[in-house]
Amino acid sequence: MAVMTGPPEIDPALVRAAQRGDRIAVADLMDALAPYVGRVCGPIALHDGPDAAQDALIAILKNLRGLRDPGAIYGWARAIAVREAVRVARKTARAAPADLADIPARGDPQLAADVRDVLARLTPEHRAVLVLRDLEGLDEQATSALLNVPAGTVRSRLFRARRSFRKAWLP
Amino acid sequence: MTQDWPVAELDPVRRMRVIAAATPGVGYAEKLIPAPFNTVWEAASDLERELPRMVTDLRSFEITSARGERMTARARGRLGQRARFDVVLRPGWCMMQSRFLIGGMAAVPEAGGTRFAFLGGLRLPGIRLLDPVLRPAISPLALRPISRLEQRLRAR
Repeated sequence: MAVMTGPPEIDPALVRAAQRGDRIAVADLMDALAPYVGRVCGPIALHDGPDAAQDALIAILKNLRGLRDPGAIYGWARAIAVREAVRVARKTARAAPADLADIPARGDPQLAADVRDVLARLTPEHRAVLVLRDLEGLDEQATSALLNVPAGTVRSRLFRARRSFRKAWLP
Repeated sequence: MTQDWPVAELDPVRRMRVIAAATPGVGYAEKLIPAPFNTVWEAASDLERELPRMVTDLRSFEITSARGERMTARARGRLGQRARFDVVLRPGWCMMQSRFLIGGMAAVPEAGGTRFAFLGGLRLPGIRLLDPVLRPAISPLALRPISRLEQRLRAR
């Protein structure tokens, strides 16, 4: 199972300069974070991805002074990006929610071929679980903490999802 | 397998919207200029020539050093004020900052021409508190430099 390699390191001095109000540093920091935020927002917000990434970066830069540890910027930005992507995607989400059991197993080869189709059939919240688990490599506990859902619930849902997916694709 | 996942891209104008929304005390405007991107950006990125025409409070804007896309510039105002600016300039993107001022331009090709964005404002302590009042007051002013650029392009 290939989890994406981590994003390039961001110089803590750049984060601190941006926190002090240096707007050139703020723009440089935005450029550094934009690819990562785009990778998080894209699969969750789909065609609303650019709007979600834009709103996520606004929230990140507006609240930058609240970040105490510049070394934690990616984890901090990820939480904001996921929240904004779910919020933006919800506004245009289809009325009928998809079944959580549609979430394929992590590492399942079917996911590579059908990822866009699978994503489009899920609700934004379910896409967020998938992004955090498969794209970001988070475990269930970290995923549940970030999405503010009990860990046990995430675990049992994922178990059922994997079982259902296998039934659907590999009868 | 993650290479197939959709990625959200942010073009320069969207990035300038981010800077505008996250920066207190600035005015921001954007407009579709009915001219090709290369024509628009070639004019706008000639800062020494075009910036004083777009921003009429500016008498001159002189690039004093350049290293790649990073530059420094010396600006002179109509009333004799002087300021040293740090500048980042690349295709479709320009950010400028002095001790008390901030400016920015961004452009992307769009159906019918070029979407052009302009940002300008103050960098002052406590400006955050004044932002709700300043932003609506300044933003209409941010449209003027774009209109001046558009007029000059039309006159060519």
